Amino acid sequence: MKFKKTAAIAAVLLPTLLLASCGGSAGENAGGEQGRSLTIGMLGDVTSWASEDAHVGHGLVPMQAPYDSLLRRDAQGELQPMLATDWSYDEARTALTLELRDDVTFSDGVAFDAEAVKANLEHFKDDALRQASQLAALDSVEVVDSDTVVLHLSEPDPALELNLSQAAGLMASPEAVGTAEADTVPVGSGPYVMEVESTVAGSRIVFTARDDYWAPELQQYDRVEFRVLEDVSARLNALQSGQVDATILDATTYDQAAGAGFEILEDYQTDWNGFTLFDRDGELNPALADVRVRQAINYAVDREALVEQIERGHGTATTQPFGPESGAYVDELDDRYPHDPERARELLAEAGYPDGVTLTVTMLPGWDGMQAAIRQQLSEAGITLTSEPVQFANMFGDIAQKKYEALHFNLFQSEAWVNVQQLLVENTLYNPFGSTDPELTGLIDELQSLSSGEQADAVAQQINEFVVENAWFVPLYRLDQVIAFDAERVEVVKQPQQAFPSLYNFAPAA
Amino acid sequence: MLTFIVKRVLSGVVLLAVICALTYALLFASGLDIARNLVGDQATPEQVAQRARELGLDRPLVERFAEWVASALSGDLGTSWFTAQPVLGTISARLPVTLAIITVSIVVVALLAVSIATAAAMRGGWIDRAVQIGSIVGDILPNFVLALLLVILFAIHWQIFPAISTIAPDAPFSAWVESLALPVIAIVIGGVTGSTQQFRSAIIGQLEKDYVRTLRSRGVGEGEILFAHVLKNAAPAGLTVLSLQFVGMLGGVVIVEEIFAVPGIGSTAVSATTQGDVPLVMGVVMTTVVLVVLVNLLVDIVNGWLNPKVRVS
Repeated sequence: MKFKKTAAIAAVLLPTLLLASCGGSAGENAGGEQGRSLTIGMLGDVTSWASEDAHVGHGLVPMQAPYDSLLRRDAQGELQPMLATDWSYDEARTALTLELRDDVTFSDGVAFDAEAVKANLEHFKDDALRQASQLAALDSVEVVDSDTVVLHLSEPDPALELNLSQAAGLMASPEAVGTAEADTVPVGSGPYVMEVESTVAGSRIVFTARDDYWAPELQQYDRVEFRVLEDVSARLNALQSGQVDATILDATTYDQAAGAGFEILEDYQTDWNGFTLFDRDGELNPALADVRVRQAINYAVDREALVEQIERGHGTATTQPFGPESGAYVDELDDRYPHDPERARELLAEAGYPDGVTLTVTMLPGWDGMQAAIRQQLSEAGITLTSEPVQFANMFGDIAQKKYEALHFNLFQSEAWVNVQQLLVENTLYNPFGSTDPELTGLIDELQSLSSGEQADAVAQQINEFVVENAWFVPLYRLDQVIAFDAERVEVVKQPQQAFPSLYNFAPAA
Repeated sequence: MLTFIVKRVLSGVVLLAVICALTYALLFASGLDIARNLVGDQATPEQVAQRARELGLDRPLVERFAEWVASALSGDLGTSWFTAQPVLGTISARLPVTLAIITVSIVVVALLAVSIATAAAMRGGWIDRAVQIGSIVGDILPNFVLALLLVILFAIHWQIFPAISTIAPDAPFSAWVESLALPVIAIVIGGVTGSTQQFRSAIIGQLEKDYVRTLRSRGVGEGEILFAHVLKNAAPAGLTVLSLQFVGMLGGVVIVEEIFAVPGIGSTAVSATTQGDVPLVMGVVMTTVVLVVLVNLLVDIVNGWLNPKVRVS
């Protein structure tokens, strides 16, 4: 009996072990016979490779392999020429003229020119959904000659130049634009071409360097592979076993990665976590119509404690929805609402709620621990927090239908105008009750007409001060992006206002 | 035998129809705003409505289901609403991976369970006690904990296996072996205890029967008693639990697939369901039902072959 059992086990495991050791071990990315190779562990899949379906942050970086954009945002956040060599506005800031490169071809041989730009931008305008707002102000595209286009806008858009370095600026071959194949195989002018034979949709996407790429300095690798690893422990394990060179982790896996000797980019924050108080007009919850109630909530939360408990210290407490790199940031505003349950109670009493109020916020799966901590904090000020469980898949539809008085979410911090459009204008998803205020509207109109610079920053700061003073939100903290990488194989720097570093920010370690 | 098989296949078809209809209804009853999910948070309500119209989401449920059935019967399972990949292509690319994991796991579980259970039943003593304790431990330990432990030991510490799957169209067969070894081990450890316990009980049950005593008294050797009689009679109970485990593994393999990033059908099922990717979910459900029906049919046939007494004439 014993012999049979051992024999059975050995018969199964031994060949397995032998075959495995023959087949090559983990960590095959040392840059052997294939030259310089980069493997990135992504937290989500790219469901569509069509250029108009590109997203922001994590969803944009893989698109930088097959596609170039009109402008390129460098690692300092400055806009650089890419497919467009020069750009300028007219007086009214409703016509943007782009000078284009004349030496670029797409990977299918089609030449890049003004007609290609027109085809791409018009297609984006018609068909883009995820980032449709990026070209919301575009009225028409005028081809002046083969190297010059003019973008005519229906109204000034301070974020247009930025957007031409993002999804809206990605240029696909005109032959591929709008075709069904574009969803599965991208055809662009970018530094890498998809290697379809090695690609497994939803699992690993492989790109190889394009031979005649026009900007060799942006082409640091011979081969780039994106591994789709939705589970954070899978990403950590892949990093530790050498199967990916860089990936995104989170506060819970930070210490393991750092302890195992991996580098983690510092000072990398792109999102703020907190409440968006939709119901400032008190339709669902009359108490929220009173600014003192909203301010009380801001006083009642203990932001530093949440950073410690939830993000294990990997975050920065803040009271502002705008980020430090946006131009709208005001250092002093972070002191506007120190943790002060007593002050909160006073404000509630002033507002006519001496016995406290109730606040209902959405609760995504996995966020119950965090909301339990906040509930505890708010209860000390007499505020009862009710959590309404939501599913990510249903959430946006329900928000649009005004089902929620407040949203608890991570929102990304971009340039001031982008966040103003995202959060504060009347017809955005994140302002479902359409709250407005004449002062705010005036500031927004002013900001729209300005080009970036000190004057625009000053107006953006006033907008920021308005929303903080009127407590339209309850920002809690900015969370760290935990980008971990193997410093012996890869050099990488952060990309401002982008959740994952651009492909251009990666280079083989010296 | 033939009538038996035909009857089973027919009832399998009825089962398939019922489950497909239920799934379809449930997908839409969940209130999932699929159109909004597809177009993102920046789309206007008009764009959401337009996408809903394009997908036919505003038409009656029965009409849409009938359409799906019609095209499915002609071999067209449609394309994913989210990735534009053909459903049949996705399933045929991913199913073999999951089946490989489950089939190898089941075979290993069967071999181990029979060996250990026989030893436990025949010898009793410490083996028997270990089996009973092991059963409880195996039931309690979640298989994702097991999976993570295996990764830390075999992939990170000893670097024998990769931490995440290396399976690719252009990868050699050894990529399959090395990528599936740890998932299989995780599932086997989780599944072997339950099966062992069942086999053990079945074997003990047989050993206590009169015919065993009779055979022994006639001088028939233990080995012949075991293989020619006891195991054959204990087989139905054991095979039943194995087929139940196979079905359970179809669901349980999901977590293991996520942790090891194996491109199997489990992870596809989860993401398709949470997003509301109706064509893909229906394709996966259909495939699963067919698999389960086939496995059950196979088990019944094997049972009938092993033990004429349970055959249905």
